[in-house]
Amino acid sequence: MKLKNLTTFHICGLNQEKLLNELCKKFTLTDIDRHTKNSTSFKCSYFEHAKIEKTLKNSGVKIESVVHEGIAYKLSKIFTSYGLVAAIVVFVVLFALQNQYILQYDVIGQDKLSQLEIVDFVKERFSAKKSEIDTKQVETCLLDNFSGLSFASCIIKGQTLVINIKEKLLPQEMYGQFAPLVAQKDGKITQISLISGTLRVKVGDIVQKGDVLVEPYTIDTSGQLKKVEAKAQILAEVYNEGSVDHYETFIEVNRTGKTAVQDDIRLFGLSIYTFKEDMNFKMYEVEFEDIDLSKNFFLPFKMRKTIYYELQQKTIESKFEDVQDEYIAKAKAKALENCEDCDKIKEEFYTLRHLSGVTVVNFCIVTEEDVGGY
Amino acid sequence: MFNFLNEVKQNLKNPQGLDLNGFNIINLSGHLLYVEGHLGLVTLSKELISFKVKKSVIIVEGKDMILSELSDNTIKIVGQIKKVEQI
Repeated sequence: MKLKNLTTFHICGLNQEKLLNELCKKFTLTDIDRHTKNSTSFKCSYFEHAKIEKTLKNSGVKIESVVHEGIAYKLSKIFTSYGLVAAIVVFVVLFALQNQYILQYDVIGQDKLSQLEIVDFVKERFSAKKSEIDTKQVETCLLDNFSGLSFASCIIKGQTLVINIKEKLLPQEMYGQFAPLVAQKDGKITQISLISGTLRVKVGDIVQKGDVLVEPYTIDTSGQLKKVEAKAQILAEVYNEGSVDHYETFIEVNRTGKTAVQDDIRLFGLSIYTFKEDMNFKMYEVEFEDIDLSKNFFLPFKMRKTIYYELQQKTIESKFEDVQDEYIAKAKAKALENCEDCDKIKEEFYTLRHLSGVTVVNFCIVTEEDVGGY
Repeated sequence: MFNFLNEVKQNLKNPQGLDLNGFNIINLSGHLLYVEGHLGLVTLSKELISFKVKKSVIIVEGKDMILSELSDNTIKIVGQIKKVEQI
Protein backbone atom coordinates (compact mmCIF):
# COMPACT_ATOMS: atom_id res chain seq x y z
CA MET A 1 0.00 0.00 0.00
CA LYS A 2 1.33 3.44 -0.95
CA LEU A 3 1.42 5.71 2.06
CA LYS A 4 2.17 9.02 0.27
CA ASN A 5 -1.05 10.95 -0.25
CA LEU A 6 -1.14 11.73 -3.96
CA THR A 7 -3.73 12.16 -6.67
CA THR A 8 -3.02 11.40 -10.32
CA PHE A 9 -4.95 13.39 -12.91
CA HIS A 10 -5.16 12.29 -16.51
CA ILE A 11 -6.36 15.19 -18.61
CA CYS A 12 -7.15 15.70 -22.28
CA GLY A 13 -7.26 19.03 -24.11
CA LEU A 14 -5.40 21.67 -26.07
CA ASN A 15 -2.83 24.20 -24.87
CA GLN A 16 -1.89 22.23 -21.81
CA GLU A 17 1.29 24.23 -21.20
CA LYS A 18 -0.84 27.27 -20.43
CA LEU A 19 -3.00 25.25 -18.10
CA LEU A 20 0.03 23.81 -16.29
CA ASN A 21 1.47 27.33 -15.91
CA GLU A 22 -1.77 28.46 -14.29
CA LEU A 23 -1.89 25.45 -11.99
CA CYS A 24 1.73 25.70 -10.89
CA LYS A 25 1.17 29.24 -9.63
CA LYS A 26 -1.08 27.83 -6.86
CA PHE A 27 -0.07 24.19 -6.54
CA THR A 28 3.03 22.04 -6.84
CA LEU A 29 2.68 19.45 -9.61
CA THR A 30 4.87 16.37 -9.90
CA ASP A 31 5.54 13.61 -12.45
CA ILE A 32 4.10 15.60 -15.36
CA ASP A 33 4.16 13.25 -18.32
CA ARG A 34 2.94 14.25 -21.77
CA HIS A 35 1.76 11.06 -23.43
CA THR A 36 0.50 12.67 -26.64
CA LYS A 37 -0.10 16.19 -27.83
CA ASN A 38 -3.54 16.28 -26.18
CA SER A 39 -3.00 13.89 -23.30
CA THR A 40 -1.07 14.56 -20.10
CA SER A 41 -0.95 13.05 -16.64
CA PHE A 42 0.34 14.67 -13.50
CA LYS A 43 0.33 14.16 -9.78
CA CYS A 44 -0.51 16.54 -6.97
CA SER A 45 -1.08 16.39 -3.24
CA TYR A 46 -4.23 14.50 -2.31
CA PHE A 47 -5.26 17.37 -0.05
CA GLU A 48 -5.27 19.80 -3.02
CA HIS A 49 -7.04 17.55 -5.52
CA ALA A 50 -10.46 19.13 -5.02
CA LYS A 51 -9.18 22.62 -5.81
CA ILE A 52 -7.22 21.40 -8.82
CA GLU A 53 -10.22 19.49 -10.11
CA LYS A 54 -12.33 22.62 -9.80
CA THR A 55 -9.71 24.67 -11.65
CA LEU A 56 -9.51 22.06 -14.42
CA LYS A 57 -13.26 22.04 -14.85
CA ASN A 58 -13.35 25.82 -15.03
CA SER A 59 -10.65 25.72 -17.72
CA GLY A 60 -12.79 23.44 -19.87
CA VAL A 61 -10.30 20.58 -19.86
CA LYS A 62 -11.61 17.07 -20.05
CA ILE A 63 -10.55 14.99 -17.04
CA GLU A 64 -10.04 11.44 -18.23
CA SER A 65 -9.38 9.93 -14.82
CA VAL A 66 -8.61 10.82 -11.23
CA VAL A 67 -6.75 8.20 -9.19
CA HIS A 68 -6.09 8.64 -5.49
CA GLU A 69 -3.50 6.83 -3.40
CA GLY A 70 -2.17 7.02 0.14
CA ILE A 71 -3.32 6.43 3.67
CA ALA A 72 -5.41 9.61 3.93
CA TYR A 73 -7.50 8.53 0.93
CA LYS A 74 -8.01 5.04 2.40
CA LEU A 75 -9.14 6.52 5.70
CA SER A 76 -11.47 8.99 4.06
CA LYS A 77 -12.92 6.16 1.98
CA ILE A 78 -13.68 4.22 5.14
CA PHE A 79 -15.38 7.21 6.72
CA THR A 80 -17.48 7.85 3.63
CA SER A 81 -18.60 4.21 3.44
CA TYR A 82 -21.89 4.88 5.16
CA GLY A 83 -22.91 1.21 5.35
CA LEU A 84 -19.71 0.31 7.15
CA VAL A 85 -19.95 3.33 9.43
CA ALA A 86 -23.58 2.46 10.21
CA ALA A 87 -22.62 -1.16 10.94
CA ILE A 88 -19.83 -0.04 13.28
CA VAL A 89 -22.16 2.38 15.05
CA VAL A 90 -24.88 -0.27 15.42
CA PHE A 91 -22.31 -2.78 16.67
CA VAL A 92 -20.93 -0.33 19.22
CA VAL A 93 -24.43 0.60 20.43
CA LEU A 94 -25.57 -3.04 20.68
CA PHE A 95 -22.34 -4.08 22.35
CA ALA A 96 -22.64 -1.25 24.86
CA LEU A 97 -26.28 -2.17 25.54
CA GLN A 98 -25.83 -5.90 25.93
CA ASN A 99 -22.64 -5.42 27.92
CA GLN A 100 -24.77 -4.01 30.72
CA TYR A 101 -26.61 -7.32 31.21
CA ILE A 102 -25.75 -10.74 32.59
CA LEU A 103 -26.04 -13.26 29.78
CA GLN A 104 -24.77 -16.39 31.48
CA TYR A 105 -25.07 -17.92 34.92
CA ASP A 106 -22.42 -20.35 36.08
CA VAL A 107 -22.85 -22.41 39.24
CA ILE A 108 -19.83 -24.16 40.73
CA GLY A 109 -19.70 -26.64 43.59
CA GLN A 110 -23.26 -27.99 43.59
CA ASP A 111 -23.67 -31.67 44.37
CA LYS A 112 -27.17 -32.49 45.56
CA LEU A 113 -28.74 -29.19 44.50
CA SER A 114 -29.70 -28.63 40.90
CA GLN A 115 -27.87 -25.94 38.96
CA LEU A 116 -31.13 -25.04 37.20
CA GLU A 117 -32.87 -24.53 40.53
CA ILE A 118 -30.24 -22.05 41.73
CA VAL A 119 -30.09 -20.21 38.39
CA ASP A 120 -33.90 -19.95 38.24
CA PHE A 121 -33.96 -18.63 41.79
CA VAL A 122 -31.34 -15.94 41.05
CA LYS A 123 -33.02 -14.98 37.75
CA GLU A 124 -36.37 -14.65 39.49
CA ARG A 125 -35.14 -12.59 42.43
CA PHE A 126 -32.52 -10.35 40.81
CA SER A 127 -32.37 -8.18 37.72
CA ALA A 128 -30.14 -9.18 34.83
CA LYS A 129 -28.67 -5.67 34.72
CA LYS A 130 -25.14 -5.74 36.06
CA SER A 131 -25.38 -2.35 37.76
CA GLU A 132 -28.45 -3.48 39.73
CA ILE A 133 -26.96 -6.72 41.04
CA ASP A 134 -25.43 -6.61 44.49
CA THR A 135 -23.37 -9.77 44.77
CA LYS A 136 -23.37 -9.61 48.58
CA GLN A 137 -27.16 -9.57 48.51
CA VAL A 138 -27.24 -12.56 46.14
CA GLU A 139 -24.98 -14.50 48.50
CA THR A 140 -27.15 -13.68 51.55
CA CYS A 141 -30.35 -14.50 49.69
CA LEU A 142 -28.99 -17.87 48.55
CA LEU A 143 -27.92 -18.82 52.06
CA ASP A 144 -31.30 -17.76 53.47
CA ASN A 145 -33.36 -19.66 50.94
CA PHE A 146 -31.32 -22.82 50.47
CA SER A 147 -30.97 -24.54 53.82
CA GLY A 148 -28.59 -27.10 52.32
CA LEU A 149 -25.93 -24.46 51.64
CA SER A 150 -23.07 -23.77 54.01
CA PHE A 151 -21.27 -21.20 51.83
CA ALA A 152 -22.09 -19.04 48.81
CA SER A 153 -20.06 -16.45 46.92
CA CYS A 154 -20.86 -14.51 43.75
CA ILE A 155 -18.78 -12.51 41.31
CA ILE A 156 -19.58 -10.87 38.00
CA LYS A 157 -17.01 -11.85 35.41
CA GLY A 158 -17.63 -10.18 32.07
CA GLN A 159 -21.23 -11.02 31.36
CA THR A 160 -21.29 -14.13 33.52
CA LEU A 161 -22.54 -14.31 37.09
CA VAL A 162 -20.37 -16.95 38.71
CA ILE A 163 -21.97 -18.50 41.80
CA ASN A 164 -19.71 -20.65 43.95
CA ILE A 165 -21.51 -22.73 46.56
CA LYS A 166 -20.69 -25.40 49.13
CA GLU A 167 -23.36 -27.73 50.42
CA LYS A 168 -23.73 -28.86 54.05
CA LEU A 169 -22.42 -32.32 54.83
CA LEU A 170 -25.19 -34.53 56.30
CA PRO A 171 -24.92 -37.98 57.93
CA GLN A 172 -25.03 -40.82 55.42
CA GLU A 173 -28.55 -41.95 56.34
CA MET A 174 -29.91 -38.42 55.93
CA TYR A 175 -29.29 -38.47 52.21
CA GLY A 176 -31.78 -39.84 49.74
CA GLN A 177 -35.24 -39.30 48.42
CA PHE A 178 -37.12 -39.86 51.70
CA ALA A 179 -39.71 -41.86 49.79
CA PRO A 180 -41.30 -45.00 51.24
CA LEU A 181 -40.08 -48.39 50.08
CA VAL A 182 -42.91 -50.07 48.14
CA ALA A 183 -43.41 -53.63 46.92
CA GLN A 184 -42.35 -54.18 43.34
CA LYS A 185 -44.31 -57.46 42.99
CA ASP A 186 -47.11 -59.43 44.62
CA GLY A 187 -45.94 -62.05 47.10
CA LYS A 188 -45.75 -63.50 50.62
CA ILE A 189 -43.01 -62.04 52.82
CA THR A 190 -40.55 -64.60 54.09
CA GLN A 191 -37.60 -62.61 55.44
CA ILE A 192 -36.93 -58.98 56.47
CA SER A 193 -33.60 -57.20 57.04
CA LEU A 194 -34.28 -53.56 57.99
CA ILE A 195 -31.47 -51.05 57.42
CA SER A 196 -33.18 -47.69 58.01
CA GLY A 197 -36.78 -46.51 58.31
CA THR A 198 -39.90 -47.91 59.96
CA LEU A 199 -41.30 -51.31 58.91
CA ARG A 200 -44.95 -51.55 57.88
CA VAL A 201 -45.04 -55.31 57.21
CA LYS A 202 -44.00 -58.50 58.97
CA VAL A 203 -42.98 -61.99 57.89
CA GLY A 204 -45.97 -63.96 56.57
CA ASP A 205 -47.84 -60.92 55.25
CA ILE A 206 -49.13 -61.08 51.72
CA VAL A 207 -48.40 -57.87 49.84
CA GLN A 208 -49.54 -56.52 46.51
CA LYS A 209 -47.47 -54.51 44.08
CA GLY A 210 -47.38 -50.88 45.31
CA ASP A 211 -47.96 -51.63 49.02
CA VAL A 212 -45.72 -49.66 51.42
CA LEU A 213 -43.09 -51.88 53.02
CA VAL A 214 -40.88 -49.36 54.87
CA GLU A 215 -41.72 -45.73 55.82
CA PRO A 216 -38.94 -43.11 55.33
CA TYR A 217 -38.75 -41.99 58.96
CA THR A 218 -37.91 -43.18 62.46
CA ILE A 219 -39.40 -42.16 65.77
CA ASP A 220 -36.92 -41.77 68.57
CA THR A 221 -37.49 -42.31 72.28
CA SER A 222 -38.70 -38.75 72.77
CA GLY A 223 -41.40 -39.36 70.12
CA GLN A 224 -39.81 -37.08 67.53
CA LEU A 225 -40.10 -38.07 63.92
CA LYS A 226 -36.84 -38.01 61.97
CA LYS A 227 -36.62 -38.35 58.19
CA VAL A 228 -34.32 -41.10 56.92
CA GLU A 229 -33.99 -43.02 53.71
CA ALA A 230 -36.16 -46.12 53.66
CA LYS A 231 -33.81 -49.08 53.19
CA ALA A 232 -34.48 -52.78 53.76
CA GLN A 233 -33.97 -56.17 52.17
CA ILE A 234 -37.38 -57.82 52.08
CA LEU A 235 -37.59 -61.29 50.57
CA ALA A 236 -40.92 -62.74 49.54
CA GLU A 237 -42.34 -65.75 47.77
CA VAL A 238 -43.54 -64.48 44.42
CA TYR A 239 -46.04 -66.43 42.32
CA ASN A 240 -45.23 -66.09 38.63
CA GLU A 241 -48.04 -67.43 36.46
CA GLY A 242 -48.36 -68.35 32.80
CA SER A 243 -51.64 -69.38 31.21
CA VAL A 244 -52.51 -71.09 27.91
CA ASP A 245 -55.97 -72.05 26.58
CA HIS A 246 -56.60 -75.20 24.58
CA TYR A 247 -59.72 -75.47 22.37
CA GLU A 248 -60.94 -78.92 21.31
CA THR A 249 -62.30 -77.45 18.07
CA PHE A 250 -61.06 -74.34 16.33
CA ILE A 251 -60.96 -72.86 12.85
CA GLU A 252 -57.57 -72.33 11.23
CA VAL A 253 -57.24 -69.86 8.35
CA ASN A 254 -54.30 -70.24 5.89
CA ARG A 255 -53.21 -68.71 2.59
CA THR A 256 -53.68 -71.02 -0.38
CA GLY A 257 -50.81 -69.46 -2.34
CA LYS A 258 -52.97 -67.91 -5.03
CA THR A 259 -52.60 -64.16 -5.48
CA ALA A 260 -54.06 -61.41 -7.62
CA VAL A 261 -52.36 -58.06 -8.20
CA GLN A 262 -53.95 -54.66 -8.68
CA ASP A 263 -51.87 -51.64 -9.83
CA ASP A 264 -53.25 -48.20 -9.22
CA ILE A 265 -51.44 -45.11 -10.56
CA ARG A 266 -52.25 -42.01 -8.51
CA LEU A 267 -51.55 -38.30 -8.60
CA PHE A 268 -52.26 -36.19 -5.52
CA GLY A 269 -54.25 -39.11 -4.08
CA LEU A 270 -56.54 -39.41 -7.13
CA SER A 271 -56.55 -42.62 -9.12
CA ILE A 272 -55.57 -42.05 -12.78
CA TYR A 273 -55.18 -45.59 -14.07
CA THR A 274 -56.10 -48.95 -12.57
CA PHE A 275 -55.17 -52.44 -13.67
CA LYS A 276 -56.61 -55.42 -11.83
CA GLU A 277 -56.20 -59.11 -12.54
CA ASP A 278 -59.27 -61.33 -12.58
CA MET A 279 -60.02 -62.63 -9.14
CA ASN A 280 -62.77 -64.85 -7.76
CA PHE A 281 -61.53 -65.50 -4.24
CA LYS A 282 -64.21 -66.26 -1.63
CA MET A 283 -61.92 -65.23 1.20
CA TYR A 284 -58.84 -63.10 0.90
CA GLU A 285 -56.57 -60.72 2.72
CA VAL A 286 -54.94 -57.66 1.22
CA GLU A 287 -51.46 -56.12 1.39
CA PHE A 288 -50.43 -52.96 -0.43
CA GLU A 289 -47.42 -50.70 -0.84
CA ASP A 290 -46.98 -47.22 -2.37
CA ILE A 291 -44.11 -46.71 -4.84
CA ASP A 292 -42.90 -43.27 -6.06
CA LEU A 293 -42.80 -43.23 -9.85
CA SER A 294 -41.19 -39.76 -10.15
CA LYS A 295 -38.72 -37.97 -7.94
CA ASN A 296 -39.84 -34.41 -8.63
CA PHE A 297 -42.28 -32.58 -6.40
CA PHE A 298 -44.28 -30.99 -9.20
CA LEU A 299 -45.94 -34.16 -10.46
CA PRO A 300 -45.60 -36.78 -7.71
CA PHE A 301 -46.90 -39.86 -9.53
CA LYS A 302 -47.30 -42.83 -7.24
CA MET A 303 -48.24 -46.43 -7.85
CA ARG A 304 -50.19 -48.38 -5.26
CA LYS A 305 -49.55 -52.09 -5.68
CA THR A 306 -52.26 -54.14 -4.00
CA ILE A 307 -51.84 -57.91 -3.59
CA TYR A 308 -54.86 -60.09 -2.80
CA TYR A 309 -54.03 -63.40 -1.10
CA GLU A 310 -56.64 -66.16 -1.26
CA LEU A 311 -57.47 -67.71 2.09
CA GLN A 312 -58.94 -71.04 3.09
CA GLN A 313 -60.29 -72.12 6.43
CA LYS A 314 -60.46 -75.54 7.98
CA THR A 315 -61.84 -76.84 11.22
CA ILE A 316 -59.27 -78.58 13.39
CA GLU A 317 -60.19 -80.90 16.21
CA SER A 318 -57.66 -82.03 18.79
CA LYS A 319 -57.90 -83.83 22.09
CA PHE A 320 -56.18 -82.14 25.02
CA GLU A 321 -54.68 -85.42 26.22
CA ASP A 322 -52.73 -85.69 22.95
CA VAL A 323 -51.12 -82.24 23.28
CA GLN A 324 -51.10 -81.83 27.05
CA ASP A 325 -47.31 -81.79 27.42
CA GLU A 326 -46.94 -79.22 24.66
CA TYR A 327 -49.46 -76.84 26.29
CA ILE A 328 -47.91 -77.28 29.74
CA ALA A 329 -44.51 -76.33 28.23
CA LYS A 330 -46.07 -73.25 26.62
CA ALA A 331 -47.60 -72.18 29.93
CA LYS A 332 -44.25 -72.71 31.68
CA ALA A 333 -42.46 -70.60 29.13
CA LYS A 334 -44.95 -67.81 29.74
CA ALA A 335 -44.50 -68.11 33.50
CA LEU A 336 -40.72 -67.96 33.13
CA GLU A 337 -41.05 -64.70 31.22
CA ASN A 338 -42.42 -63.13 34.41
CA CYS A 339 -39.54 -64.20 36.62
CA GLU A 340 -36.52 -63.00 34.68
CA ASP A 341 -34.89 -61.34 37.70
CA CYS A 342 -35.76 -64.02 40.23
CA ASP A 343 -33.10 -65.02 42.73
CA LYS A 344 -34.23 -68.52 43.49
CA ILE A 345 -36.96 -70.88 42.20
CA LYS A 346 -38.54 -72.56 45.19
CA GLU A 347 -41.37 -74.53 43.61
CA GLU A 348 -43.26 -74.98 40.36
CA PHE A 349 -46.64 -76.58 39.59
CA TYR A 350 -49.50 -76.46 37.13
CA THR A 351 -53.28 -76.64 37.27
CA LEU A 352 -55.80 -77.63 34.61
CA ARG A 353 -59.34 -76.28 34.35
CA HIS A 354 -61.70 -78.04 32.00
CA LEU A 355 -64.61 -75.95 30.72
CA SER A 356 -66.98 -76.74 27.85
CA GLY A 357 -64.58 -77.40 24.95
CA VAL A 358 -61.77 -75.37 26.52
CA THR A 359 -58.96 -76.41 28.81
CA VAL A 360 -57.05 -73.68 30.67
CA VAL A 361 -53.49 -74.59 31.63
CA ASN A 362 -52.04 -72.49 34.47
CA PHE A 363 -48.37 -72.91 35.30
CA CYS A 364 -47.06 -71.32 38.47
CA ILE A 365 -43.41 -70.82 39.43
CA VAL A 366 -42.80 -69.82 43.03
CA THR A 367 -39.61 -67.76 43.40
CA GLU A 368 -37.92 -65.98 46.27
CA GLU A 369 -37.24 -62.35 45.39
CA ASP A 370 -36.40 -59.06 47.02
CA VAL A 371 -39.70 -57.26 46.54
CA GLY A 372 -38.35 -54.03 48.02
CA GLY A 373 -35.90 -53.63 45.16
CA TYR A 374 -32.97 -52.92 47.50
CA MET B 1 20.86 27.83 6.01
CA PHE B 2 23.70 27.55 3.53
CA ASN B 3 22.66 28.65 0.01
CA PHE B 4 25.11 27.28 -2.53
CA LEU B 5 24.03 29.47 -5.46
CA ASN B 6 24.12 32.69 -3.41
CA GLU B 7 27.63 31.77 -2.21
CA VAL B 8 28.76 31.27 -5.82
CA LYS B 9 27.26 34.64 -6.84
CA GLN B 10 29.05 36.44 -3.98
CA ASN B 11 32.40 34.80 -4.75
CA LEU B 12 32.18 35.85 -8.42
CA LYS B 13 31.99 39.49 -7.16
CA ASN B 14 30.31 40.36 -10.47
CA PRO B 15 33.00 42.84 -11.79
CA GLN B 16 30.96 43.81 -14.81
CA GLY B 17 27.81 44.50 -12.76
CA LEU B 18 25.75 41.88 -14.56
CA ASP B 19 22.20 40.99 -13.50
CA LEU B 20 22.61 37.60 -11.79
CA ASN B 21 19.13 37.48 -10.23
CA GLY B 22 17.31 36.12 -13.29
CA PHE B 23 17.37 32.34 -13.09
CA ASN B 24 19.57 29.44 -12.05
CA ILE B 25 19.93 26.11 -13.88
CA ILE B 26 21.75 23.07 -12.53
CA ASN B 27 22.36 20.04 -14.71
CA LEU B 28 23.14 16.92 -12.69
CA SER B 29 25.04 14.42 -14.90
CA GLY B 30 22.64 14.92 -17.78
CA HIS B 31 19.88 13.09 -15.93
CA LEU B 32 18.31 15.80 -13.85
CA LEU B 33 17.90 19.48 -14.59
CA TYR B 34 16.90 21.82 -11.81
CA VAL B 35 15.68 25.32 -12.69
CA GLU B 36 14.95 28.22 -10.40
CA GLY B 37 13.22 31.38 -11.57
CA HIS B 38 11.23 30.17 -14.58
CA LEU B 39 8.41 32.33 -15.84
CA GLY B 40 6.23 29.71 -17.45
CA LEU B 41 6.26 26.61 -19.57
CA VAL B 42 6.29 27.04 -23.34
CA THR B 43 6.62 23.53 -24.75
CA LEU B 44 6.26 20.17 -23.12
CA SER B 45 7.03 16.84 -24.76
CA LYS B 46 9.22 13.83 -24.06
CA GLU B 47 11.92 15.12 -26.42
CA LEU B 48 11.65 18.90 -25.94
CA ILE B 49 10.84 21.07 -22.99
CA SER B 50 11.09 24.83 -23.20
CA PHE B 51 10.25 27.51 -20.68
CA LYS B 52 10.51 31.23 -20.34
CA VAL B 53 13.05 32.91 -18.08
CA LYS B 54 13.84 36.58 -17.62
CA LYS B 55 14.45 38.13 -21.05
CA SER B 56 14.86 34.77 -22.86
CA VAL B 57 13.65 31.21 -23.39
CA ILE B 58 15.48 28.03 -22.37
CA ILE B 59 15.18 24.98 -24.61
CA VAL B 60 15.97 21.56 -23.18
CA GLU B 61 16.36 18.68 -25.66
CA GLY B 62 16.60 15.07 -24.62
CA LYS B 63 14.88 11.70 -24.52
CA ASP B 64 12.09 10.29 -22.30
CA MET B 65 11.94 13.49 -20.33
CA ILE B 66 9.25 14.21 -17.79
CA LEU B 67 8.63 17.18 -15.58
CA SER B 68 9.33 15.65 -12.22
CA GLU B 69 8.23 18.80 -10.43
CA LEU B 70 6.62 22.04 -11.47
CA SER B 71 5.93 24.86 -9.08
CA ASP B 72 5.51 28.60 -9.29
CA ASN B 73 9.28 29.18 -9.34
CA THR B 74 11.01 25.87 -9.93
CA ILE B 75 11.17 23.11 -12.51
CA LYS B 76 12.73 19.68 -12.13
CA ILE B 77 13.25 17.71 -15.33
CA VAL B 78 14.17 14.03 -15.20
CA GLY B 79 15.32 12.03 -18.22
CA GLN B 80 18.17 11.81 -20.67
CA ILE B 81 19.18 15.47 -21.18
CA LYS B 82 21.17 16.11 -24.35
CA LYS B 83 21.18 19.87 -24.76
CA VAL B 84 20.28 23.00 -22.81
CA GLU B 85 20.11 26.12 -24.89
CA GLN B 86 19.23 29.73 -24.14
CA ILE B 87 17.71 31.77 -26.94
